[in-house]
Amino acid sequence: MKTIFNLSLIAMLSMQLLSAQKTITGVITDETGVPLPGATVIELGTTNGVSSDFDGNYTIETGEEAALEYSFVGYSSQIIKDIDGDLQNVSLYPSNELDEVVVVAYGVQSKESIVGSIAVISDATIQAQQATTITQALQGSIPGVNIITSGGVPGTNPIIRIRGVGSINADSSPLIIVDGAPFNGNLNNIAQEQVESISVLKDASSTSLYGSRGANGVIIITTKSGTKRSKTQLTISSNYGVSTNASALHDLINVDDFTKYAWESSRNNEQYVNGLTPSAAGSKASMNLISELKYNPYGLSQPVNTSGELLVSPMWDTDWKKAIFSDNVTRKEHGVSINGGGEKTSFYFGSNYLKEEGQVKTTFFERIATRLKIDTEVNDFINAGLNVAYTTSKLNAPSQSGDGIQGAIQWLYSVPNFYPLYQRDGNGELILNSAGERIFDYGNNLTQLVNGSRSNGANENAVGAIDNYKFITNRTSTTMNGYLNVNILEQLKFRSDVFYERSSYDNFSYSDNNFGIAANVDGRVTQNRDFDTTLNLTQSLNYKTYFGLNSLNADIIFETLRYQIDELGASGIGFLTNVNVLNGSTRPEGVSGSNTEERLISLISRISYNYDKKYYLEASARRDGSTRFSEESRWGNFYSIGGSWIASEESFIKDIDFINYLKIKASYGELGNNRGIGYFPYLQLFETGFSQGENPGVLSSSPVDPLLTWEKTAMLNYGVEFGIFDGLLDGSVEIYDKESIDLIYDKPLAISTGNDFIKTNVGSLRNYGVEFSLRSTIIDKEDLTLNLGLNFSLDNNEISKLSQKEFINDNKKWEVGRSLYEFYIRESAGVDPNDGYLMWYKDLLDTNGEPTGERTMTKVYSEADRYYVGASSLPDIIGGFNTSVTYKNFDLNALFNFSFGSYVYDHSYARLMNTTDITGQRHADIANRWTKPGDVTDVPLLLNSQNYFGATSSRFLFKNDYIRLKALSIGYSFKESFTERLNVSRFRLYLQGDNIFTYQTHKGIDPEQDLSGATNNRSYQLKTFSLGVNVQF
Amino acid sequence: MKKILISIALVSTLIVSCDKDYLNEPKPTSSVSTSVIFTSRDGVNSFISGILRASRLELNLDRLDTGGLPSLYFARTVKGNDLILGVQWYRFDYNNDNRDPTDKRTVFSWAFPYTMINELNILIKGINDSENLSATDKDESLSQALTLRAFYYFQLAMEFQHTYSYDASLPAPPIYTSPALEGKAMSTLTEMYTLILSDLNDAVEKGVDSRLDKSYINKNVTYGILARVNQVMGNWSAAEIAASKARIGYSLNASNYSNGFNNIEDEEWIWGIPQTVDQTITINTAPHSFTDNSNKIGYGEAFWNEDFVNRFSDTDVRNTFFDLFGLGDNSGSYKARASSKFKLTFDPDIPLMRSPEMLLIEAEAKARQDNDAEAATLLFSLQKNRDPKAVASGNSGTALIDEILVERRKELYGEIGVEWFDAKRLRKGITRTGNHRVKSPGNLLPDDKKFFLKVPQSEIDANDNIDESVNDDR
Repeated sequence: MKTIFNLSLIAMLSMQLLSAQKTITGVITDETGVPLPGATVIELGTTNGVSSDFDGNYTIETGEEAALEYSFVGYSSQIIKDIDGDLQNVSLYPSNELDEVVVVAYGVQSKESIVGSIAVISDATIQAQQATTITQALQGSIPGVNIITSGGVPGTNPIIRIRGVGSINADSSPLIIVDGAPFNGNLNNIAQEQVESISVLKDASSTSLYGSRGANGVIIITTKSGTKRSKTQLTISSNYGVSTNASALHDLINVDDFTKYAWESSRNNEQYVNGLTPSAAGSKASMNLISELKYNPYGLSQPVNTSGELLVSPMWDTDWKKAIFSDNVTRKEHGVSINGGGEKTSFYFGSNYLKEEGQVKTTFFERIATRLKIDTEVNDFINAGLNVAYTTSKLNAPSQSGDGIQGAIQWLYSVPNFYPLYQRDGNGELILNSAGERIFDYGNNLTQLVNGSRSNGANENAVGAIDNYKFITNRTSTTMNGYLNVNILEQLKFRSDVFYERSSYDNFSYSDNNFGIAANVDGRVTQNRDFDTTLNLTQSLNYKTYFGLNSLNADIIFETLRYQIDELGASGIGFLTNVNVLNGSTRPEGVSGSNTEERLISLISRISYNYDKKYYLEASARRDGSTRFSEESRWGNFYSIGGSWIASEESFIKDIDFINYLKIKASYGELGNNRGIGYFPYLQLFETGFSQGENPGVLSSSPVDPLLTWEKTAMLNYGVEFGIFDGLLDGSVEIYDKESIDLIYDKPLAISTGNDFIKTNVGSLRNYGVEFSLRSTIIDKEDLTLNLGLNFSLDNNEISKLSQKEFINDNKKWEVGRSLYEFYIRESAGVDPNDGYLMWYKDLLDTNGEPTGERTMTKVYSEADRYYVGASSLPDIIGGFNTSVTYKNFDLNALFNFSFGSYVYDHSYARLMNTTDITGQRHADIANRWTKPGDVTDVPLLLNSQNYFGATSSRFLFKNDYIRLKALSIGYSFKESFTERLNVSRFRLYLQGDNIFTYQTHKGIDPEQDLSGATNNRSYQLKTFSLGVNVQF
Repeated sequence: MKKILISIALVSTLIVSCDKDYLNEPKPTSSVSTSVIFTSRDGVNSFISGILRASRLELNLDRLDTGGLPSLYFARTVKGNDLILGVQWYRFDYNNDNRDPTDKRTVFSWAFPYTMINELNILIKGINDSENLSATDKDESLSQALTLRAFYYFQLAMEFQHTYSYDASLPAPPIYTSPALEGKAMSTLTEMYTLILSDLNDAVEKGVDSRLDKSYINKNVTYGILARVNQVMGNWSAAEIAASKARIGYSLNASNYSNGFNNIEDEEWIWGIPQTVDQTITINTAPHSFTDNSNKIGYGEAFWNEDFVNRFSDTDVRNTFFDLFGLGDNSGSYKARASSKFKLTFDPDIPLMRSPEMLLIEAEAKARQDNDAEAATLLFSLQKNRDPKAVASGNSGTALIDEILVERRKELYGEIGVEWFDAKRLRKGITRTGNHRVKSPGNLLPDDKKFFLKVPQSEIDANDNIDESVNDDR
């Protein structure tokens, strides 16, 4: 506080010294002569400054030898020295891209002055791409940002990782800040057309102000505002599209092939495992086939003869895909916005409606997002604003990922065409209900010998589940940001921000009273309702001064954050048909509820300095106290320092013609991470909810480390930004190296201790890489422009320290020097042509039982050794490529994104190739199976007994490179002569294609799965063709 | 200047108003702290309740055949000759081919008992360390905890090595008697049975007859488990005493036999798992869900060997068998005989120990000690109860013992894997006969390695004191 007093004292003194020596007046205009109201004029080396009025006029009293700096947002500032006389008119020119104002942590900065690594996506980019979600705008647009959209449920958040994966168990996702406050909700609740800009903060110097939450990068979303003294504009947009799956599904087989394969796996089992003669094995397989499969689409008691031939044609061949997938998937979006402003006040109002369907029948996401923003000048030193948003969304999503029995994709990949969609009697005839309608077959008629019950998907029918169940999630969110800005002095500002968010989550599920999983209890309704409340208060002081060519900017910020989750759930059973609210329940089944609260206190400071806009230095520090750690380890200190040099401002480079811009920068900082570890990870507790009858029951939770502390990340960033040949090539190259220490990890414990894991700080992880971003304006004529852009990053992940030699984590093994994502699995050695058995490698041992380094093969899975197979689920290179062309009134934009070098373990394919369970669906590749000695193939013989051919091995590990045309839009903006007649200022029509082309090395899945490279029966991303219109009045 | 002062005042008020308790206020609401549990009998009881509840929970394996203690028993049941399993959950257990280090059964049968043992060790330590509990409360609670710990170590001993009488010096799973984070080395069967007996004897000493309900442990249950352990060890006089004490107060009542085996209030039940509408695993419930063929909600795909069915007289109340599909007497189909012994309701209770089992242990123990007369009398008391037309066989010696063993199967089929338990402890093997779906490939030879499981890979991976060689010769 003392410093602030001193600074203000100096300021007041200087004002007195500078009184009334010379008065300069003039008009500030833009390059076309239009007056710029509110432009700033500052006398360099002093704190003396004024603003221009509504007509661009200014009057300033200066010293005799004054140098004046004229500036205006969005325009290059200009310094004029040695002013003759008392009149000085000035024209300012729009700043080129490099002078953009960029939203940074707790403020804005000019792009030039940034010492760290910040990438920005502007409104213009979002518009040009016609991005349908905020995250879609990021994918392929910014190097070092890895976005994975898992599955095809509309309205779900993708996985976002910035500069690799900096954590194992704690949250590795970036912090999201919307209009200055941390955002806890679903990103898809923000309408992309209401977004002004998205800043991605990647290095320590740009994120360290977020301290304990900044280690994984920060995404700052700023919504649109109105502009003071501007004409009121009305914009209407509308878009309608249709969709199908973007990648093809796995090739499946028909009922006849299925039946023959089932017979063959049974025959092989009798012949090769149980040792029957081929003919005895064949006849036994024929005899047992129907009793093992339990259904019979052929009517004949032995439809396959003893040599494996089908004798009749089937009565059904169920096309599950057709029954599960909708053939008319649509997407529509409509928006309206009004913005403008008067002398003192500006406003923005936007409202947006979206309805997006998914491919699995009845799946949809519907959203209405409304936002109102007002900014006003209360008097000459106070301004204030309010930003209110209300969003409501509804998602209906039948299960379509994971292993859940009625999951749509799980079902497609496990239940063969052999089983009927509708109930059949023992002879295969349809069973109809009293109304004469067909009835979904749930495979649970245990008293009917044939066509009654199946073991595969018993008590379920995925199509019936879609029809008879409901899975609705309603979300609403209200956010309010208010701010008050007091210009205490020209150089000193106080700002207070209040952010309040209340969002509700209401999950409703209903299972039918007549069919499926809850039929035995006459239906079930489960409803969970959560309220999340965030209160974020920020008080900041900003001091800004100039002396000579020096400029200094300092901030002190105090922030508190309170986050509360209030959960309530109930379920009831016993419903009448068509009654599906809890009131209709005849028996309550369960209730639950809890309250959780987390708090964070922070003190933040930042100081930045530049000399002559050539040399920049910035330092910041933050101290955080978090309730997620015990009192002893609760406080963490984080800091950063960075600098940059605009080399192109030096005279010796200014003389080089082809260099337009050159900047060199470096930064270092230490950040923390406390997210994703639970709210009280340090407390050993007993969990409630294990009552036995009337007696309340508790169980001990997992063991804890009471001294668990912050995961910290130290990050180093170097970069160069350049522009050469007048726009022919602009770009940047950045190198980063970050090390996360005290990693929080669920360290596996020997299961004989009765514990799976302990959450503790175990080691260090290094992520390093290089990022390129290149842009080129190839043609820039009035009628024709052509721009190209390319960005990509090469990211590496390496474990640098572990508290023990190694951990085995599922199909990965972690040890120092390896990445978290290297597969460590048994390695398939192909199929023995003699007997068709799959083989794996194992170590050849010497007489002492030590590995000799050589390998041999085994047919016993448990004997096989696991190896690093030279495959990682992290890609070597990811990035995007975009091009935009305008020709007269036409425009074309295309954006590709790509990923190379990663591997995926395809569990779905493994399941489809595994014949242990003869009732399971099969992949068309089974056609290549081993059938007789001498067959050389990579598909082993079919065998209906416990075998490990389908167990985890390199057999199901695939290279997963892909290139996707994410967005292609072709637009036409009508000529002014036409729009004027319609009384509109802009009229644009466009055609849009999303995900319309995908090249991928492993077919049958969507190439975007998850970080660990595992498929999980996810539904597929959609390819969408749409038509849209934008009109501006 | 005024503006400055206002702003400074604003900022400082905000900073100061956040006193240091701001970060101490939030507390967990869905959990309770250690001090609440171990300072009162109610607290300790709630922990015991939680542990008993957990005995029927799935163990994160996301499978219907790993639903706690009932599934451990049912996996034993399907390995025998009496039950024939269709193509369903437990099918690889039925094939006697589900014992490799990465198999789900292996992982489950290891992890489940150890999860329970860890909770019990936390309980035992908490009780011992408590300064608030009375000596009586401590003893009564400890007797429950020690009985359960012995019970789960007994399951581990049975699942992961040859039987005790084969060679007691063989390696057995590691022993933990207090909460631990570091994995220990393998123990031996001798060490394990020593601990089991000492825990049970300690529990007998401290135990009482009363209890909250029949899912909790009292002296009867402790004696019952002691009887089973001594039965495996061949300590016949100890087995006889324990079994006779276990069944005191739990008389026979044949009239409940046909009620579906889903009610813990049955007077024959000494110990069981109760389920209620809000605390049920319904379709995971073994054996009900997997054997009740007449119910549309379960996975009933179990049938019964005609050779076994033929051992029952028509008037035996335990003859619950019927021809579900009307296949006739000589179809040879494995689906020829279903049973109505277990009726799947939404919340069936599960039997864990019944008085007839204790009666038969007592009879076997008497016969093994050459007290044939008393043994035969006891046996016939059960036979007569179950079948009013029963006639005493007059067997003695080995024939009497064999008759008792058959009676165990007839009485307890489907419940606790009695056929496998007897074949294992008596080192006899099981030969599949009759209309089995999987015949000779499912056979178990005497002392077959298939009577026990390998050590799970995940244990080897995370335990520095156990390496891959533990599975050599397994």
